[in-house]
Amino acid sequence: MPLSDDAVRHHVYTVTAERGRPPRVADVASALGMAPGDVAAAFGRLRERRLLLLAGNGEIVMAPPFSAVPTPFQVTSGGTTYFANCVWDAYGIAAALGRDADVEASCACCGEPMALAVRGGAPLLADGETAVAHFAIPARHWWDDLPHT
Amino acid sequence: MLLFRDEEHVGRWCTSRGVPRRPLVTLPQLWELAVAWYGERLTPAARRPMGDEVREIFARVGLVGEFWELG
Repeated sequence: MPLSDDAVRHHVYTVTAERGRPPRVADVASALGMAPGDVAAAFGRLRERRLLLLAGNGEIVMAPPFSAVPTPFQVTSGGTTYFANCVWDAYGIAAALGRDADVEASCACCGEPMALAVRGGAPLLADGETAVAHFAIPARHWWDDLPHT
Repeated sequence: MLLFRDEEHVGRWCTSRGVPRRPLVTLPQLWELAVAWYGERLTPAARRPMGDEVREIFARVGLVGEFWELG
């Protein structure tokens, strides 16, 4: 029997937090006892609500702030590795998990590695390190092309 | 949204790509945004901030001006 879209969404996020990657349609269907078509339909409605980003095959590309595919922003927390599309989402993973985290990133200009951290609910940089974020696209257009915001 | 070592690197990157220089966001501001946007995302009642809620978050974090308007 189909569950509510919010129940599907909550399952997706619970699994993602545990395993580091969003589950596939078939995995969700099996875990929740739903037909794959019903799960795919729920994913589609969650995409319309801008809570999931889907690939052409209907599988999850992003369950923001979590990325389903490896990215240059790798987050490690509680022994699990996650990927984020940007440093906002990398911090978002730490915020969603409510845990300390280490973020491996790099400067978009020179490519030099940058190590960020979250400790006790606050961002932390190593002594002498600096960092700043730059949004290329005005806020009103963020959802036009989310990965390139 | 991209991460840079410092303001000079932002300027260098914008010049080399012909990208307009936009307002900068500090890491503490970005962390506040992340908490506001995603802090409840694993809860059963999670939802994405919308409309006036987003405007309130931007204002609270100190992100004000035309660039941050939602249209």
